[in-house]
Amino acid sequence: MDALSSLAIIAFAALIHASFQLSVSVLTLLSGHAIGKKTAHNKLIRLTSSFVIGVGVMTLLIVSFLSYFIGQTFGSGTPLVLWAGACGLVLGLGVAVWTFYYRRQSGTSLWLPRGLARYLNDRSKATTRSAEAFSLGLTSVITELLFILAPMLIAALVLVQLDSVWQIVGLVLYSLVSSLSLGIVWMLIGGGHRLSGIQKWREQNKKFLQFAAGSGLIVLGFYVYVDQVMTATVLAQAGL
Amino acid sequence: MTEQRIGIVKRNGQRESEDFSRDKLHSSLRAACLSVRSPEGEAESIAEKVCDKVMLWLERRPEVTSHDLRRKATETLAIFHEDAAYLYQNHRVII
Repeated sequence: MDALSSLAIIAFAALIHASFQLSVSVLTLLSGHAIGKKTAHNKLIRLTSSFVIGVGVMTLLIVSFLSYFIGQTFGSGTPLVLWAGACGLVLGLGVAVWTFYYRRQSGTSLWLPRGLARYLNDRSKATTRSAEAFSLGLTSVITELLFILAPMLIAALVLVQLDSVWQIVGLVLYSLVSSLSLGIVWMLIGGGHRLSGIQKWREQNKKFLQFAAGSGLIVLGFYVYVDQVMTATVLAQAGL
Repeated sequence: MTEQRIGIVKRNGQRESEDFSRDKLHSSLRAACLSVRSPEGEAESIAEKVCDKVMLWLERRPEVTSHDLRRKATETLAIFHEDAAYLYQNHRVII
């Protein structure tokens, strides 16, 4: 796979990651509580920026860890069975996201353990310092791991096949693209938009976001399976 | 208006009941208005008006559930500020 195709797959996986909504929900809550407490605009920007940076850093760390682990365990010749397993995970998750991502009630509640959701809710209310907001960003990525692990795994598998310079480019690309939706909401909040408008948009379009994330995962899983597993098998059988 | 002793049943009795507090209701309504970037004076005045109407509704009720209290407060808040009422109603179902 050439560098451009690899980066395209990484960007697509990151775009699917960006369509998952937990970090956006936590950012909305954090901003709501901060504005409700009459926090100064500069401090609000500091808090939300720290949160967004926390999300980006944890994403970067997890993808780096997965790539390092795969690289150390298998080298650059990743076994086909691992590709096939990762594709199966992505396809299965795609169907699960179509079916389960949002709870069947009003609002944007996700299928997360309620204890974790309550914890994030309470922490977003209690957060008053930038360091706490940064930690909240780290935590929200870990909480969302159930949904984002599959695109991260595909990105990591693709990354280990690249040269070291392109690996860094790929890592940065994944972190930036996966934070796009968060960055847009951050800009809207910083620009003085009403949270009710942002939340109403998210609620009205949640079915579309759910469908897009699920479909994206299925397309990614199918493409990578054909590109990495089927093509390699057919070429091996043809003796090429 | 004098404070009455009204029991608030929380989460259908799953959590311990507590006495109604006008201050608590007022501060939550005020925060909801501020969250949608209402000026402080307007937030204060809306919270005051909603609290008055909710107190009237509570007058003949010795006990209400927290769900009913929230529903009544949301309905009343929607008369004065629809966006604030939306956030007040939905902030628990964002995550």
